[in-house]
Amino acid sequence: MARLVVLGGGVSGHTAATFAAKWLGSAHEVVVVTPNSQWNWIPSNIWVGVGDMSKQDVVFDLAPVYRKGNITYKQAKAISLNPEGKEGADTPFVTIEYTGQGKEGQTEEVTYDYVINATGPKLNFAATPGLGDANGLGEYTVSVCTADHAVHASHELDRCIEKMQKGERQKFLIGTGHGMCTCQGAAFEYAFNIESKLRKAGVRDMADIKWISNEAFLGDFGMGGLHMKVNGYVVSSKLFAESLYAERNVDWIIGAHVNKVEKGKAHYELLDGTTGVEEFDFAMLIPPFAGVGLKAYGKDGSDITDQLFAPNGLMKVDADYTPKPYSEWKASDWPRTYQSPAYKNIFAVGIAFNPPHLISKPAKSPNGTPINPTPPRTGMPAGITGKAVAHSVCDLITKGEGVQLHEASMAEMGAACVASAGRGLLTGTAAAMTVYPVVPDFDRFPGTGRDTDYTFGEIGLAGHWIKQVLHYLFIYKAKLKTGWTLIPE
Amino acid sequence: MEKKVIPEELNFQNNDKMNLTMIPSRYARFMRTCVIWQFIRFVVLNIKMLIVVRKSH
Ligand SMILES: Cc1cc2nc3c(=O)[nH]c(=O)nc-3n(C[C@H](O)[C@H](O)[C@H](O)COP(=O)(O)OP(=O)(O)OC[C@H]3O[C@@H](n4cnc5c(N)ncnc54)[C@H](O)[C@@H]3O)c2cc1C
Repeated sequence: MARLVVLGGGVSGHTAATFAAKWLGSAHEVVVVTPNSQWNWIPSNIWVGVGDMSKQDVVFDLAPVYRKGNITYKQAKAISLNPEGKEGADTPFVTIEYTGQGKEGQTEEVTYDYVINATGPKLNFAATPGLGDANGLGEYTVSVCTADHAVHASHELDRCIEKMQKGERQKFLIGTGHGMCTCQGAAFEYAFNIESKLRKAGVRDMADIKWISNEAFLGDFGMGGLHMKVNGYVVSSKLFAESLYAERNVDWIIGAHVNKVEKGKAHYELLDGTTGVEEFDFAMLIPPFAGVGLKAYGKDGSDITDQLFAPNGLMKVDADYTPKPYSEWKASDWPRTYQSPAYKNIFAVGIAFNPPHLISKPAKSPNGTPINPTPPRTGMPAGITGKAVAHSVCDLITKGEGVQLHEASMAEMGAACVASAGRGLLTGTAAAMTVYPVVPDFDRFPGTGRDTDYTFGEIGLAGHWIKQVLHYLFIYKAKLKTGWTLIPE
Repeated sequence: MEKKVIPEELNFQNNDKMNLTMIPSRYARFMRTCVIWQFIRFVVLNIKMLIVVRKSH
């Protein structure tokens, strides 16, 4: 009997573990190690953050689902990997520390035949003084990155609405809290959901809403923007993003590295080297992401973390990490199998793998500060990479070492993404977008880097309905309800 | 002379950045939440997205 250990029960880890358990059956064991007791459909945290949904609407308990899926569930966080075992024992293992199941604080060595690292991002609030510290989110801003953060954000928003109802103007600052952030899409959604919420509450005229981000242009989204066909033209997402901001009267600061946050103030440096301070009453600034800080040790106990992980804590996989200038970036730099080059039985999926480089054009201020979005790995690529690697591991277990691994390069896959701009069955709107491929390939698609037959975007009520349907569909799928395997990632 | 206010055009004068964008007209805004049109778009968008999903697996 072989054992697959999946580290992280988020979008990619849950996908990998549930498919692997289904394909392997009871002949082999699938173990999930994840510190949370509940699964969170993260995209809907936006709606929790404006009070349109409760936390209960976006989470469910993992234990019964893993029981149903024949998965061994350890509510714990992984601390380190020993890919060669330890003195006197050759079997590789992961050291975990329990966070629940009545064993809080206890450590355990979980041996494995294969391990999939799907630990997602560390929300690195500490990277920006005042945004937070090693313990997480600070006291001056809010976040929607977790369901609990979103509940807190919603309460703070209610307080601002009360103040506006009493005649006090409020300034909202939404965007990214560092020059190296990703996930602009989530901040974009939150900005426009707040705007919509304030309109519904009848206080929009009492609010100044400002966007601040590290994108070189509005609509970059960490993907270098996208070009799409509209009314006989092929146009950049910049035009549509700016149009929406102007329509909804959301002012913007772009090319900004927020370098310090104080009570009611965000300090920033711009791409042209100038600095500024933006005041706010309410701010939601996405933190930069890093790896969760797993360590790796050799058989003799020596620290081999740098063999498995990049300095940012994300895991090195089969990508081409050779540093090269933007003009030499190739689609083929991107990983295909997500296998660790150091150990063939270790894989990393979702946000946990280290991308070879940015997707957006790199940019620095004259002071040398890098100000550019890092590559997004949204839900669809996270799910697809999770499933592809699960497939590879199952083949390795059932057919033996020589099998061809399954491939899922972000330079060959597309992504569908729906960004809410306000909720409401008949009044809601969302930008429904697809890009193909996620990573532009200028050899295959000279000009825009993408296939404009399959890269499109459009805002409207239909997008909102899709977002709402996806909410129910993906929670249904994650609960392993009847027919779950038929729902695509 | 009589003042002619077109609400959806007011934001052009908020600042120079907004002045240089395109802002949807009343017709474009209406179509965004017109239930019949959006139902058609819902079907079209789902088909387009499913094609991209299929190409990606
Ligand atoms: C507010 C917000 C809105 C978003 N909206 C969208 C959207 O509309 N569409 C879209 O496609 N994407 C969206 N995304 C992105 C999407 O959530 C991510 O792409 C996806 O969650 C990544 O999956 P993952 O498995 O890599 O990481 P996660 O889903 O974050 O999962 C990581 C898991 O690992 C666990 N973990 C952490 N440390 C350890 C450890 N040491 N040991 C074991 N487990 C650990 C975590 O608890 C978590 O369960 C949004 C993100 C945010 C923050």
